[in-house]
Amino acid sequence: MNEEYKKKVHKKYEKSLRKGERFWPDSIYKDLLVSFAIFLLLVGLATFIGVKPEPKVDPNDAAYVPRPEWYFLFLFQFLKYFPGSLEWVGAALIPGVAVLSLILLPFLDKNPYRHYSKRKVAITVMSLIVVGIVALTGVAVATTPPQEEVAVAGSISEQIVQGQDLYSVYCVECHGAEGEGGIIQGVEGLEGVELKPISSQDEMYTRNDGSLFDIISYGQPNLGMPPFGTSFGGELPPGDIDALVAFMRYTWDDRAELPPEAAQASAIPALGPDEVPSYEVHIQAISKRYCVSCHRTGKKNNNYLMGTYEDIVSSGDNAPVVVAGDANSILLQVIQRHAVTDANGNEIGVMPPTKELKPEYVDMFVRWVMAGMPETADDAAALATTATAAPEAEATPTP
Amino acid sequence: MWSKVYDWLDERLGLEDLYKGLLDRPEPHGNWWNTLGSASLFIFIMQGATGIFLTVYYTPSPDHAYDSIQYIMNGVAFGWLIRGIHHWGASLMVLVVFIHLLRVFYTASYKYPRELTWIIGSFLFLLTLGMGFTGYLLPWNQRAYWATTVGTSIAGTVPFIGPFIERALRGGTDISALTLSRFFSAHIWMLPALLTALIGGHLYLIMRHGESQFPELDD
Repeated sequence: MNEEYKKKVHKKYEKSLRKGERFWPDSIYKDLLVSFAIFLLLVGLATFIGVKPEPKVDPNDAAYVPRPEWYFLFLFQFLKYFPGSLEWVGAALIPGVAVLSLILLPFLDKNPYRHYSKRKVAITVMSLIVVGIVALTGVAVATTPPQEEVAVAGSISEQIVQGQDLYSVYCVECHGAEGEGGIIQGVEGLEGVELKPISSQDEMYTRNDGSLFDIISYGQPNLGMPPFGTSFGGELPPGDIDALVAFMRYTWDDRAELPPEAAQASAIPALGPDEVPSYEVHIQAISKRYCVSCHRTGKKNNNYLMGTYEDIVSSGDNAPVVVAGDANSILLQVIQRHAVTDANGNEIGVMPPTKELKPEYVDMFVRWVMAGMPETADDAAALATTATAAPEAEATPTP
Repeated sequence: MWSKVYDWLDERLGLEDLYKGLLDRPEPHGNWWNTLGSASLFIFIMQGATGIFLTVYYTPSPDHAYDSIQYIMNGVAFGWLIRGIHHWGASLMVLVVFIHLLRVFYTASYKYPRELTWIIGSFLFLLTLGMGFTGYLLPWNQRAYWATTVGTSIAGTVPFIGPFIERALRGGTDISALTLSRFFSAHIWMLPALLTALIGGHLYLIMRHGESQFPELDD
């Protein structure tokens, strides 16, 4: 670079300054305008799109598809073309050379000209790199399989409701719907074991959230409680165990106040005197809380499942367990504490085995079966109106 | 009255000189593409301001990191807005800085006498990526954990020194509490300190040499 060239550059710059503008206010005005637009954009993104909730870290979740930030995706994709022992070429050599050339660009590019028409090589190379990065990012987005959607509780109320649902599935069969414990019945390997209540004031005051989490995660193998956390071979990721702990704390600890939304969301709807219960609104809520812990696949339950409407109506070794309009249906007998005998002479015990259902829930089941087991709230409403309208219809033609 | 206050301050601070030296400078005829540098600076300041607010509630430990973010999102007044801006600002900053880099490349503004401005700028770009990489782990969610697992293991494939870099980044063989505190420290102290210093140098050089003019046919 000779002095003459430098002088020429400075002279040209002087010339462009003479026909230019002032930094204040001309340039600053544009800068402020763009910055303000960016501010509005960020507030808009934060308000209308927000941040997608993600589940808590679970190092044992082998099914999770790892992916880097979107601006590293191209590198992630690039690496796939360098398998095995060549990996370091894609991971270290090429990116290393690229970064070095980026930093040292002013010394690598000896071309003295600045106009586009005189820099064809540099512009072509850079454009190809940019197109490559965009293309690799596109390929990466298109080829990575979609992540499995996981429900993430946002508010504490959502967490409590999620915890209650999990409790009903994983805990109720031994600990009971209210954590009351008692003698375990119908659970393989733990038949007859007596459990102390886990919802007592003593338990809640002496165990903090951390130790509740650890007990659920690790179990208490010497006492027969299996581990539930994925870290110890169980089924529940850390976020689920957090939800269980939140449910236990807010429901049983008299120092905590259950948020009204959570109480409302998990309450079993009450039934009016002339109302017909439906599966959708009433029966599902009861069976979810008190029955599915045992009446799901993989448990000892005579193959009677209660997870869906179809299963309740038609599954099981003794199917049909419920018959529309039949007050002697097996289900209605056992929940009213009458043990019955099946076709092979085996006794079907009372249900739930430990603590009986509240009378209003038994009543809901009875009225549901007697009314014809409507699935949806609309069906139930239709049955309710025909039931009350029928006597009037008969009454009118006989004056 | 006000002119007296102004005169008093001017005598001591040299406001008139500041105005002449910093603001009332001639510039080549501007272009909207020239606003990308100041836009990058603006996003950096936004990230700094929202980041400072986030550290009030954020706890960099594996037991509390996730819950503290949940609390910021649901419990703190306007926490969702602060975190939302910081979250989207991170992506936008990488994008804007990269486009700024491309603008400087295509207008050949890195040539004499602005070579050093480019070199500092390229470090600023790399540091911005470093901020993105370290900040991504802090929410301690699945996405963060696995991205960092993959990212640090890529560093481990470098010949000879790779395993050392990987262990140094993770603070051990696996992603752990040490990784989180390392990334937190880098994200809120080390990298921002470097960024601030280099931005200072970058701005000084821009004032020293002036904003480059768009190349004309005889350039």
